[in-house]
Amino acid sequence: MNHRNAWTPWLFIGPAILLLLVFAILPIFVSLVISFTDIDLVGLGNWDAIEFIGLENFINLFQDPLFRQSLYNSLVYVVIGVPLVIICSFSIALLLNYATSKLFTIFRVVYYVPSVTNIVAIAVVWGFLYNQDVGLFNFVLDFFGVDPVPWLEHPFIAKLSLILLAVWKGLGINMLIYLAALQSIPNSYYEAANIDGANKLQKLRYITIPSLSYATFFVTVTTLIGWLQFFEEPFVMTGGGPLDGTMSMALFIYQEGFQYNEFGYAAAASLVLFILIIVVTMVQFTFNKSDKD
Amino acid sequence: MKKSIGLVSVVGFALALTACSSNDAGDDSANGSTNTNDSENKSDEVVSLTVWAMGEEGEALHSFGESFEDEHPNIELDVQAIPWDNAHDNLLTAVASGEGPDVVQLGTTWVAEFSEAGAFLDLSDYTDDFDMIGNDDFFEAALDTTEVEDQILGVPWYVDTRVLFYRSDILAEHGYESAPTNWEELKEISHTLNDRGDDMYGFDIDQNDQLVPSIFAWQNGWEYDVEAGAENFAEDSFREAMEYYHSFFDEELVQESEGVPIEQGFEEGTKPMFMSGPWMVNIINNTTEGIDGDWEVAVLPGQEKNASAIGGSHLSVFAHTDHVEESLEFLSFMSEPDTQTAWFEETNALPARQSAWDNEVLAEDEKLAVFGDQLEEAVAPPVIPEWENVAQELLSSLERVNRGNAEVDEEMDNFQQNAERRLN
Repeated sequence: MNHRNAWTPWLFIGPAILLLLVFAILPIFVSLVISFTDIDLVGLGNWDAIEFIGLENFINLFQDPLFRQSLYNSLVYVVIGVPLVIICSFSIALLLNYATSKLFTIFRVVYYVPSVTNIVAIAVVWGFLYNQDVGLFNFVLDFFGVDPVPWLEHPFIAKLSLILLAVWKGLGINMLIYLAALQSIPNSYYEAANIDGANKLQKLRYITIPSLSYATFFVTVTTLIGWLQFFEEPFVMTGGGPLDGTMSMALFIYQEGFQYNEFGYAAAASLVLFILIIVVTMVQFTFNKSDKD
Repeated sequence: MKKSIGLVSVVGFALALTACSSNDAGDDSANGSTNTNDSENKSDEVVSLTVWAMGEEGEALHSFGESFEDEHPNIELDVQAIPWDNAHDNLLTAVASGEGPDVVQLGTTWVAEFSEAGAFLDLSDYTDDFDMIGNDDFFEAALDTTEVEDQILGVPWYVDTRVLFYRSDILAEHGYESAPTNWEELKEISHTLNDRGDDMYGFDIDQNDQLVPSIFAWQNGWEYDVEAGAENFAEDSFREAMEYYHSFFDEELVQESEGVPIEQGFEEGTKPMFMSGPWMVNIINNTTEGIDGDWEVAVLPGQEKNASAIGGSHLSVFAHTDHVEESLEFLSFMSEPDTQTAWFEETNALPARQSAWDNEVLAEDEKLAVFGDQLEEAVAPPVIPEWENVAQELLSSLERVNRGNAEVDEEMDNFQQNAERRLN
C-alpha cells in the first residue's frame, strides 16, 4: 500500500469518528469533570464561579429520596420490562415466521408501526385510553363489571401502565431482529430433525432457541440499556408522577439538569447511570462467554 | 429509546441554531449597508436587530414589526420565532456561548434564573434617555418581576393573570346570583354544587399548576420575604392556605384524577368553577357549544385580599449585544400604549401598560375588564432563581398530602426543609 492509499480508509470512517468524538466521547468527559463541580446557570455564564466540590454531589445524590426512588423505579422497569419484551418479541417473531402469506406481511407492519410512530402522538392517544374516568380501557372493563383501574393515578399501577406502553412500542425492532435470525437458520437442521422424528416442541427447544442465542444476547443487551435509560414514556405521559411513582433515572437527570439548572448534580447522576449500565453490560458479556465455554 | 443520542442531537441542534442566527445577523447587516445607498437615512448603516420571540408571539411579530421598521429606517428587524418548548434550552445555549439575539422575549418566571448568569443588560443606566424603563404606568406586579437586586432587566411587554371562570346559569339555579368573593363563599358554593350528584364537582384545581398554592397563600395575606428564605413557609398564613388547598381534596370537592379536559367539564357543567388565564376565554369560545352567555369571569375570591398571580412576558436586551441603542428603541416602541393596544388586537395578549387599558377596544369588553381589575391585585412570584424548584417541591409535597394521606403540618415541615436545601 502506498502512502496515498493509506489515508483512504480514514476518509471513510473519519466523519463518523469525528461526530462520535465531538458529540459522544467529549460530552462524556465533560460531564465526568463537571460532576465534581457545583456548576449551575451562573457558572455557565461565568466560569470563575464554578467550584470543585469533590464527591459532594454523589453524597447528596444517595441521600436524595427522589434519586433513590428513581433508582428503584428503574429497577422495576428493567426487571419487568426486559423479560417481557424478549418473550413477546420472540413469540411474535415465531408466529409471524410460520407463513409468508399476505396476512402475515400485514401483521409484520402492524407490529412494527409503533416503533416508528412519534412518541408524543402515542402519548396523547394512550393518555386518553388510560384516562381513569373517560378512557376506553376502563370503559371496556366497566362493560365486564370491573371497577375502574387507576391506570396513571396510582404510583405502582402507573409504572405497569408505562411498561405496557413501552413494551408495545419496543416490540417492533426486536421482533425484526428475531425474524431475521429465524430466517437465517439453515433448513437442513429441521430436515435432519424430521428424519430423526423430532416433534415441534423438540425442534423449538433443540434447534430454534439455541440458533437464536446470539440474537437473544444482542436483544437483551440493547433492551436492557434502553430500559435503564427509560425516559420518553414517563416524560410525556406522567412527568414522573403520581407521587414520583414513575420517575426514572433518566427523567431525574433531565429535570435536575434542564429544568432546575443543577448541571453538576445532574452530571453526577448521569455518571451513576453510566457506571450502572457499563457494569450490567459487562456482567452480561461475562455470562455469555461462560455459556459459550 | 436512544435517549443519549437524542439529547446530544438536541444540544447539537441548539448550537447549530445559534451559529446560524449570528451568521444571519452578519449577512443582513452586509446587505443592509448596500441598501442604504439607495434610500436616504440618517446613519450610513442599517442595523439588523435580532429578536427572539416565543411561540405565537414570534409568528405575529414578523408582520407587526414592519410598523417599527417604517419609523426607524436605520433598523431592520430579524424576528426569530422560537417554540416555547425550545426556548429555555436556546437561552441556555445563548448564555453559555455568549452568542445570542439582541432582544429576547422572556417569560416573567425566567428573569431571576437567567439574570444570575448575567444574561441581560441592566437597563437602570439608561433611564434618563428612555422613559419606559421602570415606568410606573406598567402594572406594579409586572414591574416587580423585571427588577432583581437594584437591576432592571427588562421592560414588561404583555401580562396575564388567573381569574375565576364560572357557570353563571348553574350558580343561579342554586340561588347564587354572583360569583363567590371570599374563601367561605367559594367553599359553600363548591359544597352546594358538589352535592348535585356522583360525578359532579364543585370546583377544579389543576394539581400541576405551580401557581395555585402560591395564589392561595397570597390571598391569605402571605408575602414572600427574600431575606427570610425557607422561614417564609413556617408562617401561619402560608400553612393555613395549604390547609385550605388540601381541604378541597379532603372534602372531595375537586376531582383528584385526570378526568376530562377542563373545557369539556365546564361545558357539561360537571366542573362549574375553575381558575385560569385569558387564553381560556378563546378556548371556551372555540371548543364549547351552547354555553354562550351562561358563563362569566370574576376576580378570584380571597381571604385577606383577592390576589392572583401575574404572568406574561418581558422584553430584555441580551448582555452581549452590539446594538444597545437600537434595542432600546425597539423596547420603547413595543411599550408605547398605542403599540400595546394594537398588539392586543393582533394577538389578544393583555397590555402590561395600564394606560393602554383606557382604549375603548379594551375598556368596553366586560370580561376583559375583570382581568384588568384582577391585574391590579395580582402578585408576582418571588424573583429568585430557585423559585421554580421550590414551587415544584411544594407541588410534590401537596401531592403527598392529597394522594398519599400525609399530614398537612408534617408534610409542610418536610417541604420547608427541602426548600431550605434548594435555597442554599
